[in-house]
Amino acid sequence: MRPDYATARADIINGIRAFRVWTRLGWQEVKRRYRRTFFGPFWATFSIGAFIGGMVFVWAPLFKTDVTSYLPFLSAGLVAWTFATALISEGCGTYTAGVSLITQLNFPYTVLNFMVVWRNIIVFFHNVVIVVIVVIALKVHVSWQTLLLFPGIIIVAVNGAWMTILFGMVSARFRDIPPLVGNIIQIMVFVTPIFWFPSQLGPEAQSIITYNFMFHLVEVMRAPMLGTAPSLLSYAFTIAGAVIGWIVTFDLYARFRRRIPYWL
Amino acid sequence: MTSIIANNVTIDFPIYGAGHRSLRQTLFARTGGLIRHEGTGRQQRVIVRALDDVSFTLRNGDRLGLIGHNGAGKSTLLKVLAGVYTPDSGSLSVDGRVSPLFNSAPGLDPDDNGYENIKTCGMFLGMSSEEIDRKLPDIVDFCELGEYLELPVRTYSTGMVARLGFAIATAIEPDILLLDEGLGSGDARFAVRAEARMQALIQRTRILILASHSDALIKSMCNRAILLEKGRLIEIGPIDEVIRCYHERPAEAYVA
Repeated sequence: MRPDYATARADIINGIRAFRVWTRLGWQEVKRRYRRTFFGPFWATFSIGAFIGGMVFVWAPLFKTDVTSYLPFLSAGLVAWTFATALISEGCGTYTAGVSLITQLNFPYTVLNFMVVWRNIIVFFHNVVIVVIVVIALKVHVSWQTLLLFPGIIIVAVNGAWMTILFGMVSARFRDIPPLVGNIIQIMVFVTPIFWFPSQLGPEAQSIITYNFMFHLVEVMRAPMLGTAPSLLSYAFTIAGAVIGWIVTFDLYARFRRRIPYWL
Repeated sequence: MTSIIANNVTIDFPIYGAGHRSLRQTLFARTGGLIRHEGTGRQQRVIVRALDDVSFTLRNGDRLGLIGHNGAGKSTLLKVLAGVYTPDSGSLSVDGRVSPLFNSAPGLDPDDNGYENIKTCGMFLGMSSEEIDRKLPDIVDFCELGEYLELPVRTYSTGMVARLGFAIATAIEPDILLLDEGLGSGDARFAVRAEARMQALIQRTRILILASHSDALIKSMCNRAILLEKGRLIEIGPIDEVIRCYHERPAEAYVA
């Protein structure tokens, strides 16, 4: 398919410019979850919290660590993981969910992508309450490096934006992708050091972690939440991921954007 | 200068997952153009040619009626003009702000209240925040939903939703207006007001394109017409001529 870079660029630029539309739509969806429930999106937070609360007493002894260092690690990791993977799994449904709009109107489709990213940022700030509670309760060291959480969120969001475009497009064309992606994410949560510390894997198997992109996405948010700076390696991987991801996605978007309404 | 220039516009719909009856039926229902099979065996793909080599030019003041049987390509042509589908071959240049009114309320969410939906739908219809704020009193006034606007739209009756959608959709300021049949709109008293508002909208529109099966509607609103058949442009010209041509076509032409 011949690429149409001008249209793709216009779509992305106009999508960013329409920030009032996607911030509003993102909020609106979070607000909908609050309707007729008192806790709204906090129910998802409770569910993560209950999971952590239940498992920490089994896993801390199982992994031979003490609860006071394991609990903050697990909560920060799981909250960061939930954010990063929600961008991928919800990204798969971006265009299929927007079918009524895409097949009726001509508008920058990236509005839908940015809406998914924005909505998940809002949900992340609900879930982060768990980490705040744990950090306060266990008096985890808070430092200036904690502020690195914010650039971390931005890096993950920028990666998330290309992921929702790429996975959204592929999923619109091939309907096997969303369940496949769901499967992979389910396995990745065990392969990625979320439930166990990277140091526990031993030196010979470290490459499983080093080349795991998801680990680095988690790490740029988790390390600051635990009061430390992420490694330069994690920044290198995630920033390179954002650049390469956007280049590849931009090229594919230029080629296939016009096919999206045909696929839906 | 508002204008639409279509040169040899052709649209092919590849049918994905033709093994699934439901999807196949929806697509066939939508197009009804020429069906062809490409490739062999497992690689075989079904392709429907929904528009075939369609050319025409429209300028300021043109009110074009689209005539043709189910699946002749009327709705596909409207969607191409709306920018939903990009032509596979041929070219289309549209100069002016296009407002498609296929669905009166794009992005309508039943859990949001009337005011929230006015904002969301307005944005998707291409209005800026300021424009929506400026039009709000007019929309509120016209739909006559009063305090209902503070309730979720799911509590509205079908007619009330139609009224809200109509009030939002007709508040736009388009250069080019695309209409698929008329817009539905509530009870008898409201229908009279809706008619007047629709006429006002059409008055301030530079180019109107209306797809309809009603000869009377086309005659009352348009000054030119196109006859489509199996995705091909058969006739373009004054309304009476095109309608006559439509009724004189042999019956076999109906079957896609």
